Order: sequence, then C-alpha cells, then structure tokens
Amino acid sequence: MDKLSRYLRGPLTLVVLIVIARYFFPNKMTFLVEITTFSIYIIANDILYGYMGMVSFGQPFYLGVGAYASAIYLAHIGNNILVAIALALLMGLIAGLILGPAFIRLRGDYFALINAATCAMGLFLVEKILYPITRGDDGLWYRSRMHATPLLDLRKPDQFFWFAMIVLFVVMIWYTWLDRSAMGASFRAIKVNENKMKFLGYDTFKIRWTGYTLMCILAALAGSMYAINYGFVNPSITEPARAAEVLVATLLGGAGSVYGPFFGTFAFLGLKDLVSTFVSRWELAVGVLTIIVCFKFSGGVWGTIQTIGAKIRSRGKASAQSAT
Amino acid sequence: MTRKSGAATGSLKPSENGKHVMIEKSNERILEVKELSVSYKTLHVLFDVSLEIQTGEVVVVVGRNGAGKTTLFRTVAGFLKQDSGTILFKGEDIGHLPSYEVALKGLKYIQQDKHVFADLTVRENLELGSYATKDYDWDRVLEHFPKLKTLMDRKGGNLSGGERQMLLMAQSLLGKPELVLMDEPTEGLAPHVIEDLKGAFKKISEQSTLVIIEQNLPLTAEVAHRVYAMKEGKIVAEVADKKEIQDLAFEKYL
Amino acid sequence: MLELYISAVVFGLGISGILFLVSIGISIGFGLMRIVNMEQMVYYTFGAYLTFALVSATGSFVLGLICGTAAAAVAGFIVETQLLRKVYGKELMFTMVVTFSVFLIGIGIVQYVFGLASKPVGMPFHTIVHMLGAKIPLYRLMVFVIGMLVYVFINLMLNKTIAGKAIRAGIENPDQVRGLGINLGRIFTVTFVIASGLAGFGGALNSPLVGVTPYMGFDMLLFAFITVILGGLGSIKGTLVSALILGQVISVGGTIYAPLAFVGPFMVMFIVILFKPTGLYGVRGRAFGFEE
Ligand SMILES: Nc1ncnc2c1ncn2[C@@H]1O[C@H](COP(=O)(O)OP(=O)(O)OP(=O)(O)O)[C@@H](O)[C@H]1O
Ligand SMILES: [Mg+2]
Repeated sequence: MDKLSRYLRGPLTLVVLIVIARYFFPNKMTFLVEITTFSIYIIANDILYGYMGMVSFGQPFYLGVGAYASAIYLAHIGNNILVAIALALLMGLIAGLILGPAFIRLRGDYFALINAATCAMGLFLVEKILYPITRGDDGLWYRSRMHATPLLDLRKPDQFFWFAMIVLFVVMIWYTWLDRSAMGASFRAIKVNENKMKFLGYDTFKIRWTGYTLMCILAALAGSMYAINYGFVNPSITEPARAAEVLVATLLGGAGSVYGPFFGTFAFLGLKDLVSTFVSRWELAVGVLTIIVCFKFSGGVWGTIQTIGAKIRSRGKASAQSAT
Repeated sequence: MTRKSGAATGSLKPSENGKHVMIEKSNERILEVKELSVSYKTLHVLFDVSLEIQTGEVVVVVGRNGAGKTTLFRTVAGFLKQDSGTILFKGEDIGHLPSYEVALKGLKYIQQDKHVFADLTVRENLELGSYATKDYDWDRVLEHFPKLKTLMDRKGGNLSGGERQMLLMAQSLLGKPELVLMDEPTEGLAPHVIEDLKGAFKKISEQSTLVIIEQNLPLTAEVAHRVYAMKEGKIVAEVADKKEIQDLAFEKYL
Repeated sequence: MLELYISAVVFGLGISGILFLVSIGISIGFGLMRIVNMEQMVYYTFGAYLTFALVSATGSFVLGLICGTAAAAVAGFIVETQLLRKVYGKELMFTMVVTFSVFLIGIGIVQYVFGLASKPVGMPFHTIVHMLGAKIPLYRLMVFVIGMLVYVFINLMLNKTIAGKAIRAGIENPDQVRGLGINLGRIFTVTFVIASGLAGFGGALNSPLVGVTPYMGFDMLLFAFITVILGGLGSIKGTLVSALILGQVISVGGTIYAPLAFVGPFMVMFIVILFKPTGLYGVRGRAFGFEE
C-alpha cells in the first residue's frame, strides 16, 4: 500500500492542482486542457530524448499519426469516440513497430534528420496525396458525427476536461513508475553508455525499440486528444516547423525528469500565450526564447525548482541543526 | 624519495654547429602543476595532482589503466579545463589557454590513440605541422626517423603502428618544442619497434624535455630520470633515485 | 515523348546544382564542427531576398547575385562568431535546437522586413537552347554548371591548399589539429563563412526559379536534409552524388508520376538508409551520437 502511494502521490497532487486552478480561473479551462494534452506529447518526446538521449526533429509526425487516425475514423467510418482513441493508440503502436527497426539503427544525427524528413513527408501525405481522405488544407470536420460517450460526454469541453485529467493521471502514474523501473534505468543506461550495455549482454536494440514505440503510442494519444477536443484536424498539426516547439518545451522543463515535461509545457505555452499578445510573428519570439532558455536555464524549470527546493531544504536543515 | 637536487647526471654538451641546441638538465622548472583537479561532468578524475618537471629531464608517469594519466596530460596540453589548480609552463600560467596556443608555446602532446591523419600522406601530415609552427626544417626532425623519409607519399592510414608513432614524434618536433608529452608511445608495438623508438626517445630528449606515460616497466627503468606513480587520480609516489628506478621500486605503488 | 524526358533531365540537373550549393554547408558543418547547422537555410533565404531587392531596385541580376552571396556570408560570419562558437562540442540536441532557433529568428526578420507575401524575381535571361528536339532554358543549364564548378573549386581548395588539408584533417580529428598548434577556430569561421556564402548563392540562383517567400527555407531544408543524409554527413563527394541523384528523382520521377517529385527523394533516402545507415559516402565511427 505504501509502495502504491509513492506512485500515486505526485500525479494526484498535480491533477488536484490543475482542478483547483480550473475553479479559480474558470476562463482558463481550455488552456489547462491544452497544457494537459501537450504535456503528454512532451512526455513522449522526453522518453526519447530525456531518457534515451535520442533527438527527433519530427515529433509532429507522431502527433499527426494519432490525430489523423482518430479524425479519419470519425469523419469517414464511425462515430464512437472511444474507438477513435483506441485506433490512434493502435496506429501509434504500428508506426513504432514498423518505423522503429529502420530508424533506431541510425546514429544520433541521422536519426534526428530522418525524423524531420519523415515529418515533412507526413505533412505532404495529408496535404496532397491523401487529399480525397484528409481534405488537405481544408481539414477534416467531424464534430457533428461524434456520438456521446457513456459517463463523460467527451464532446462537451467541461466534460472533456475531466477526461483529460483522468488520462493525465494515468499517464503520470505510468511515467512515475517508468522513471523508477528497470526499464527506465535501462533507457538511461543506453543514453550514457550503449556499448557497455551491449557488453553486459543487454539487447540494446530491443530496449530502444521499446522506448521508441512507447513514444509513438503516447504521442498518438496526445494527437487523438487534440482531434477529439477540437472536433477537426488539419495538416498544421504535423507541420515540421513545429518540431522545435517540442524540443523547446522539453528543454524548458528539464529533460529526463518526471515532472519536467509538465512544467516545460506550462512554461512554454504560458510564455507563448503572453508573447503572442505582443507580437504576431511567433517565429521570432520562439527563436529568441529558445536561445535564452538554452543558454541561461539549462536545467529547465523543473531543474530550477529542484535546486531552489534543495537550497531551502539544506538551509532549513542547517538552521535546525544550529537550533539544537 | 627525496629529489636529488642539481643531479648533473645525463648532462650533455651543447653542440657546436648550432643545429642541435642540446639542453642541459638543470634546476629550472619547465612545468609546474599545482593541485590540479579535473572531472568529466560529474565524474571526478584527478584529485589535487601536483608535479614538477625540470628542464632536460626524462620523466615517466606510470599507473594502471584508468588512473588518470591521459586526463592529466590532456589537461596540461589544454584539451580539458581543470576545475581548480594551476599549470605553469616556463613560469607562465597556461591553464586557461586553448590547446593550439599551448602547442605554439612549445608544449606538445602526442595522443595515446596514435592517430595520424589517415587521408593525408606522410608529407602532408608533416606539412600541417610546419604550417602551424612555421618550422620547415624537416631534415632536423627526420634525422631521428630515417624510415619516414622512404614513406613520404604513403597515406597515413596505411602506416604501421610504429611508423605512425614515428610520424607523430616527427610532427611534434616541428616548432622545436621545449616540452613533449607522450601518451603511451609504445602501447601495442612489437619489441623490435620499441627498441627503435627507444633510440628516438634518447635523441629527442637531447633537444626537449620529455614526459612519457608508459606501462612498459623495463623500458621505463631504462629511460627515466625520474618516475611518478599515479593511482586513482592521485600521484602516490615519486622515485628519483636511479637505483630505485632500475630496481622497479615504483612497481609497488601501482 | 523523348523531348519531355530530355528536358526533365536538364531540369533535374539544375535542381541538383541548387541542392548541392545549399546542402554543402550542412554537410561540412557536420563533418568539421560536429554540429547540425539547421540555420543554413537562413542564408539561402537571405541570398534570395537580397537578389529580389536588388533586382527590383537596379534591374541587375548579377549585382543581386553578388550582394545576396555577400549578405549571406556576413550573416554566417555573425552567427558563427557570436553564437555557434559557444555550442561547439555541446550535445547534438543542444546545437540543433540553437541553430533551429537561429533559423526561426532569420525567418522572423525576413517577415518583418519584406512581409509575408511571395515575391517574383525576374529571370536574368530567357535564352532557350534546343537539344535533340527539346527546348531547354539556358539558365537551368547554367545553374548546373555553376554547381559543378563550385564542386571543383571546393575540391581543389581541400586537396591543394594547406588550409584545405587542415580542414580535412580537422574533419578526421579536430583535437589533433589543435595539438599541432593550428587555430582550428579560425578555420571554422572561414569555412563557415564560405559555406553560408554558398547557401546564399544557391538562394540567389534559385530565386528566379521559385520566387521568394519567408518560408522558402523550410521547403528547402527538407531537401537539404535528404541530400546530406543520402550522401552521408560530412562527405562533399557524397553531397554532390546525392544532389545529382535527387535532382533526377525529383525531375524525371515527377515527370513520370507527379507526386514522385516530393515522395521520390524521401523514398530513395529511406531505402539507402535501411541498407547503409550512414548514407552513401558517410563515415562510420568517430562522430558523436550513438554508434552505427
Ligand atoms: N571523455 C571521458 N568522459 C568520461 N570519463 C572519462 C573520459 N575519459 C576518461 N574518463 C574516465 O576517467 C578515468 C581516467 O581516464 P584516463 O584516460 O585519464 O586514464 P589513463 O590513466 O590514461 O588510463 P589508460 O592507461 O587506460 O590510458 C577513467 O575512469 C575513465 O573511464
Ligand atoms: Mg591513457
């Protein structure tokens, strides 16, 4: 029981905080849902980058896989939102299983670039080649085709909020578990010294493949949540230009930590929100912001919080000691 | 284990023709390393290492694999930055200089991996050394390595281990360095090749002060004036007595 | 029918010329400085926009070419000396993010100065040559020839000059070059300025063919990536060969079946990478990142 609570405490606190925020700032609910969804997307990237040390410049592709899997189903085939989500997860799994063996053999630099190329390819697919199915830049609109789901009606924003909370809760528990599990340890070990892992008899290929596939599934889940929350999908979701956002948010939060992705997303989207009220050109703002983060806050938001926390704690200890 | 101050052993006469400026062993300290600490990110590798090298000496640094010998050399040569401590070369603090400036000041480091530019010929490899130092006196440096003269047009990638080491030594002598650091020059070489190199060490040491990392203890006994033993990132012993060196007394510190 | 393919081949050669010019910087930047400089396409964009500005102002395309190239080189100089020097030796992710940010900033600047709308650039000449019955615009042929000349020039520089040899040695083992006493940093700067100048030159040459828009760099970035991945990062010969292959895939492939113009390069890269993860001429080993 105690063991279980260790995995539950953090995620529960996080979700409760978001729920409280929702009631304090009722008009920010959309923003909170956005953060929730985006942070799942960032967790996916963090598994790849923060844990395994693999940089991908094409994360929007994996988001797009999930979004379009759900969207195409809802627009052309069925009406059940839960099936749409399940399909997205399945497509994520398939993408991971198929692309994985080809991609993860590549050296770091090639891996990053081939993902960028894949992403551009994906954009081209949904924009042009699959036009009859995806309607290209016009996007797919299917809100009216979605049927109500039992218990929570995901078509309604305030009920979707609760759904997002449940998903975040589950994902965070899993992610906390991953961080402490043997699997998480093996991901980290690969980042540090893959050859050593090989000597020790680990099948590093399989470990990477697993991590990559998990990334695909999670990113697809985030994509599917976008698709359902918005009720439409257009190619801008898989735009390669947005690959940078993912990396920035990951770095901003502090890579390879449990709460990094969430705080990174929070900081990134918050800043973007602020900045966009002043300047309309996001490229310039995101570019400058990123460079500042890279050079000045290399530990990320979560890293900074932790160092401050550690300082306070050590000071607390010191004063406690001096008191005795 | 006290240093024999002013021991005039091995002093050589300066040559008359001026071609060789033979150096004399003296009390002048060419290199002083004081309380050097170095780490790779979070891994602390060198702990307060201090040492002194006298002009004209041949000093050998011994130690097990992973003792931190290469790290020490790389830091002295400017490839790594120390966390703390100072490095004085001819009395000047070089701890903050980039590696190429250290090299131009007359402190050359020959890396452990025996890497020569595979894609360039022996001649081109030497040209690069000359380009950097503006020293085109190839006769002087090739004198010790007659074999290289026959290999001028061979690609670096096709040289044998011994030939590589010779090329690296020749390359490093361009610019008349006053101090040459060699990182395991005989590692992986056949005994007869080592025999050749030994002659080269002697000749080089007539022109430059030499600090060598060596695992080959008999060889060490033969060439060293002084030996430092390193263990787990610290200098654990210094042996200056010729007799003790010959008896491999430093072996017990490893 | 034959004319169609002949002109497709020549079009492809023109594309190859541009691809080579704009990719060379990414490839060398990787080989020598061990960074993936995503911001190369900023110079490409700058080169194109300056050509546009000068052609509109003075009507002289040659002047546009020169100024476009120069502006790109200056931009490259500023970026290298002010920013990139701080990222050499840092991990891959970091350098990619930083250089990508520079790319975004460059796009932002172009948007501020020139606006969002796409701008046409007039062809410097409209001469048509006839070849086996096919009508071929001389300009495209010229672009190809220029690309090849640049290749020859770069090769001469690398193989015959001492600075070029230092670059080759630096690609192999940067630390050892420094150990000889060579200021590799200065060589980096010179190389980088040349590379960015070439990207700007490529942008200038391409501007009459594609017109200029703030996002032109994004489209080109994809093709540049494919070119260097296919050719092998760090290999100049590889970059050339892969530019030649891709030019034909885009042009001839696109003539056979239109979507191939876009999907073709990707498929070729994908297949090659499957069998040879380092691209056609890429080298194994030393580079950072995980092995193989
Ligand atoms: N680039 C590096 N990053 C992290 N750790 C390193 C690096 N280089 C060396 N180390 C570690 O530092 C320690 C000292 O290494 P160093 O190469 O200095 O030893 P050495 O005495 O030269 O050994 P050898 O005789 O095997 O050459 C070792 O534990 C090694 O694993
Ligand atoms: Mg060593």
